[in-house]
Amino acid sequence: MAYALIALGFVLALNAAGAVNFAHGDLVVLGGAVAVVAGVSLGLPGLALLPVVAVTLGAAGFVAARVAILPLAGRPPEATFVATIALAAIVEHGLTVGLGAAPLAAPSLVGSGSLEVGGLALGRQPLAILLVGGALVTAVWFLLERTQTGRRMRAVSSDRYMARAIGIPAARYIALSLALAGALAGIAGLLLGHQFLVAPTQGAGHMLKAYIAVALGGWGSVPGALLAALGIGFFETFVSAGLGDAWASAALYVGVLAFLAVRPQGLFGEPAGRRA
Amino acid sequence: MRPLDLFWLVVLLLPPVLALTVLPPFGQRMVTLVGVYALMGLGYQFVFGQLGALNLAQGALFGVGAYVAALTSPVLGFLALPAAVLAAAVPAAMVAGPVLRLQSHYFALATLALASLVNLVAVNAESLTGGANGISGFASSLPRGTTLLMMVWACLIAGVLLAAHLFRGSLGEGARLLREAPLVAATLGLDGGRWRLVAFVAGGAMAGLAGAFSAAVSGVVSPDVTGFSIMVLCLTSVVIGGARHPMGAVVGAMLAVCLPEMLRDFQGAWLLAYAAATLAVVLWAPAGLAGAIDRLRRLPAPAARPAEMPARLPAVGGPRRLVLDRVVKRFGGVDALAGVSFALERGEIVGLIGPNGSGKTTLLNVVAGLDRADGGTIALDSVNLERLPPHLIARQGLGRTFQTPMPEGESRASDLARAVSTDAAFLLLDEPAAGATDREREQLAMTLRRLRDAGRGIVIVDHDIDLLTRVCDRLICLDGGRVIASGRPAEVRADPAVRTSFLGLPAAAA
Repeated sequence: MAYALIALGFVLALNAAGAVNFAHGDLVVLGGAVAVVAGVSLGLPGLALLPVVAVTLGAAGFVAARVAILPLAGRPPEATFVATIALAAIVEHGLTVGLGAAPLAAPSLVGSGSLEVGGLALGRQPLAILLVGGALVTAVWFLLERTQTGRRMRAVSSDRYMARAIGIPAARYIALSLALAGALAGIAGLLLGHQFLVAPTQGAGHMLKAYIAVALGGWGSVPGALLAALGIGFFETFVSAGLGDAWASAALYVGVLAFLAVRPQGLFGEPAGRRA
Repeated sequence: MRPLDLFWLVVLLLPPVLALTVLPPFGQRMVTLVGVYALMGLGYQFVFGQLGALNLAQGALFGVGAYVAALTSPVLGFLALPAAVLAAAVPAAMVAGPVLRLQSHYFALATLALASLVNLVAVNAESLTGGANGISGFASSLPRGTTLLMMVWACLIAGVLLAAHLFRGSLGEGARLLREAPLVAATLGLDGGRWRLVAFVAGGAMAGLAGAFSAAVSGVVSPDVTGFSIMVLCLTSVVIGGARHPMGAVVGAMLAVCLPEMLRDFQGAWLLAYAAATLAVVLWAPAGLAGAIDRLRRLPAPAARPAEMPARLPAVGGPRRLVLDRVVKRFGGVDALAGVSFALERGEIVGLIGPNGSGKTTLLNVVAGLDRADGGTIALDSVNLERLPPHLIARQGLGRTFQTPMPEGESRASDLARAVSTDAAFLLLDEPAAGATDREREQLAMTLRRLRDAGRGIVIVDHDIDLLTRVCDRLICLDGGRVIASGRPAEVRADPAVRTSFLGLPAAAA
């Protein structure tokens, strides 16, 4: 579910910016780090961290849009790629300098232990992740599909020039999308940070999985990315249970390469024209 | 790409000369490292700088080179270096086929997945790679000290000079077109996939060599050399130095090696500073530091040389006849071309007229292979074109020019000149007179006649009906994707259907 949140933010940022945000994975890590710092130094309980992380990382997403994405709107997508890779490196090394390279544990959301539901033992943390993730996905769906703000965000994503021509301040909505993407990434970081710890170098891995999810799910498709992210999560869980983590990742990467070799245009194809 | 002038030659030669004459061993080691990173960056410039594709596997290929050198040097000795080059080039060539056809975002993803796979093997295949501990104890069989330094810099200097020389001429122009206007490049017969393949493999081979040298420098190889951070270091140093400047990789590598020494007391801070500098360069100095230095030295920015119409137009050979037979193109439910047939001989100019949306540009695109026909045949003599990719169609002897976006600093005239310079027997011109002054129109008319006299066949789309009437042997009028009239210009202009649909006149001559 946390993968789904990462992929959801990734695809929102992708559609809004028109280019891959390579810093997305590092926003996830940053979210985990904020949770660690706020949880330890302020002693906030897990649930109270949610809004803290969301607001901080929303701001980070906004800043990312302002410094690395909007100024490069007129340049080839590779310029944005490089700018966001630089941003990712800034976050990674900033965290290394600030917090050290050693992995840290983020506080759990609602305490540890498990609940007995209908004879099944369910971990509290996974359950909480499922609930929070489900609620957020629903909320984002509601925002995008049922509100005027969401409609405008989608309009800017599908054609920013047209959107601007009918009076939508495109830059503001791009920044807003990036802020939302940042908040989602941050919360994913908080959710993952308890079980998988938080280390500055994890960003590239998070980003890669979201990237794969978006490629498999149909470039730019929000539900496709969500489904593919859930699929990747299940795939990894099962394969790594059977064969170990390394094989799970290897199978995933080989699968992606094979997939791209067979379907160079993506799973559902794409409308003609270049996008990135 | 500008040639290297004296200033840059000195910058290139100074580090090894200083290292061999005055620097202590520690300084020599740093200079060697600069050479290693610069070599990797130089290879990276081919794909990333020249062709503008974000390759994220360069770091992994560097790692492959390092591992292979470490594994084979006890047996092969110095020959471990060419082995490492091969070991990096072969997988690059193997994956290149499918990977290089991909659009930019999938290309980045595929190269990233490849790199992750290499890293995974390095960490987990313990029996081969030593796992997280890596491999050591092989350095004695590889070149060391000043020998190593001289080898690294000899390779680097040769590579920089060669690249600067190669990309100065038509190779650089071809790369620029592929990067900035891939469609134009294709219609000139440039095979983008092949270019990327060569650049990717050559760049990968250099990464492998650099990796082998880095193994020799450090004497230890661990999974870190295949990691994403090496890739990011390579990318950022090339961007900071100047992705397309012949000295960009060297300047970037100098900074990448010297900065950590200068910021030694702040541990990871140099990486932070380096990343911030990269962002700054992308935003404010896209030509990189080397480009900025050239600006400070008041060198003019390297200008694209617009192609010029050759003074003499020799007669061209090649196919004699272009024949379209019932060509159909649909966009969704709309028939943009609903069965268009006509033939064109060499030495003939045919004007294509018709109202907006009548299918004129679509027709040119379908003939040039930029859009696929949904039916019908297109043939140059006996060669069918309708299934060929654009660059092969261009090589059969068919050139075209474009209505819209040209790379910066180009004009329609240079677009036409470039198409002419391919010696294509047939030319498709899309609105060559749009926005032209009367004088330019006159020149265009003259050029077209000269081309015809040199035995070229020309299809020209334009709205200037008077110009077309003067230069064309025949006019063809399209409406709704069909030919509604065809014949000598005066006849077609007098045709009632043409008068109502296109010229907006009453059906009968006044």
